[in-house]
Amino acid sequence: MVDFVQNTLDGVMTGSSYGLLALGFTLIFGVMRRLNLSYGPSIMIGAYLGTLVYVQLSAGPLVVIAVTLLGAVLAGLYVERLCFAPMAAGAGVASMVSSFAIWMQLEQAAVLALPRHTYPFPPLATGAPLNLGPFLLRVDHLIMLTGALALSACVHLLIYRSHFGLGLRAIINNPVAAHLVGINVRAAIVRAFALASAVGGVAGYLVLAVDQQVTPMFGMWATIKGLIAMMIGGLGSIPGAILGGLLLGVIEAHSQWYFGPHIRDLFAYLALFACLALRPGGLLGEALHEPFERGA
Amino acid sequence: MLEISDLVTAYGKIEALKGVSLRAESGRITCLLGPNGAGKTTLMMSIAGILQPQRGAIRLDGVELTGLTPARIVTAGVALVPENRLVFPRMSVRENLLAGAYQRKDKAEVAIDAERMYARFPRLRERREQLAGTLSGGEQQMLAVARALMSRPRVLLMDEPSLGLAPLVVAEIFRIVAELNRDGTTIFLVEQNAHMALQVAHHFFLMEQGRVTFSGTPGQLAEDEVIQRAYLGARRAG
Repeated sequence: MVDFVQNTLDGVMTGSSYGLLALGFTLIFGVMRRLNLSYGPSIMIGAYLGTLVYVQLSAGPLVVIAVTLLGAVLAGLYVERLCFAPMAAGAGVASMVSSFAIWMQLEQAAVLALPRHTYPFPPLATGAPLNLGPFLLRVDHLIMLTGALALSACVHLLIYRSHFGLGLRAIINNPVAAHLVGINVRAAIVRAFALASAVGGVAGYLVLAVDQQVTPMFGMWATIKGLIAMMIGGLGSIPGAILGGLLLGVIEAHSQWYFGPHIRDLFAYLALFACLALRPGGLLGEALHEPFERGA
Repeated sequence: MLEISDLVTAYGKIEALKGVSLRAESGRITCLLGPNGAGKTTLMMSIAGILQPQRGAIRLDGVELTGLTPARIVTAGVALVPENRLVFPRMSVRENLLAGAYQRKDKAEVAIDAERMYARFPRLRERREQLAGTLSGGEQQMLAVARALMSRPRVLLMDEPSLGLAPLVVAEIFRIVAELNRDGTTIFLVEQNAHMALQVAHHFFLMEQGRVTFSGTPGQLAEDEVIQRAYLGARRAG
């Protein structure tokens, strides 16, 4: 029983970062109705810039966070400009495929820039784990959970309480009508990409600070975790993204405990499969609308 | 005055508008009739900037609107109530109205205008916190009209406001159209329901296969035998 609770706690902690990744994914998907496979790799670029200032200039954690975040945002906007802005509305597959191409490009860029496979990433906290009765809680995990919950609350407020969020939700609800009420849809999409990348940058930082290392594979890892968590939680749903992330974390923690690390990912995919088979829209997802076609 | 001259809009190689010229006089209700596929909705979407015309010009009181983004066109004073209403289904009635005023900076005035909408459409006040997707068709149409009005347009474009609504609701919509017009809004309306349109519109255009084929007053429209047969359902003996 102690193990079960401990695993669940650990799962919730790591799951909170999955939730943030899913949150970024879902923002882009909600606004664009297109999948951005380069989402993880653009975060990886930010993380590489972060490790660069850490290794080369021995920068402190705040500088590393800022550089990681900024790098992720710039890389995210680069992806938007290349894979999403020029594609005709309705050409969702073209965007997805080109985002796959840019994924490969970003990954190669990282490999070429820093040829050693693994680079160190500054830790968040190095102290001993906290004792909570029979349970152990890692300090960096606690920071991760708190950061993820605080950030998702901020994003929630931004989406549901601000003028910008009103416009974003209008676009998510009906893009043609959003144009008709005078929302600058293009500008809003660019901002949504920047916001999603910033959220992804924070998630990337929190994960890597716990792992204390970064590799070029982090991009793929982030895309897969974010994608699974988003699909379990429900495409386009903010609470769904967080819930999906936490669930994925808990499922992974338990399956790792009972079956070992190699079987862990199998269970993650099984959970995704079960979810898609039983509830295709995801737990909190809603029926998808037709893709946006300008002038349809 | 909203003036359309020689407008050509194409989907790929197929021209849906083949040189459309017409005008909606200020302070009046102008109605565009025509069968399905004539290009009426294409025209409305072109005026609103959702579709890009290949040729021709759209002017509002002499100011060129052609090629502007939809947002700029709203700011210039033209708002479209689109076919099938297109309310934001998972946003509340109140949020739909706020979205209608998206580019306006005068928050206090926006709040006053929202109150005006609730006064004009009491059903919307009752349902202000309800999701727009849960409203009835008629209520959604009212909301679509109110949302468009929130941008304080000089010209209100309406694409088939009576579509799929019960006769009583249609009558209510047309009462509101006439009322808005009396308050000074220029209205340019697409309608299949020629009977209702005859009661309120000051001027008619008929569009067929991407071209304007008739322009005249309600009197002239009612006298035109061909139009009568096609749109007013009058039967000829023999």
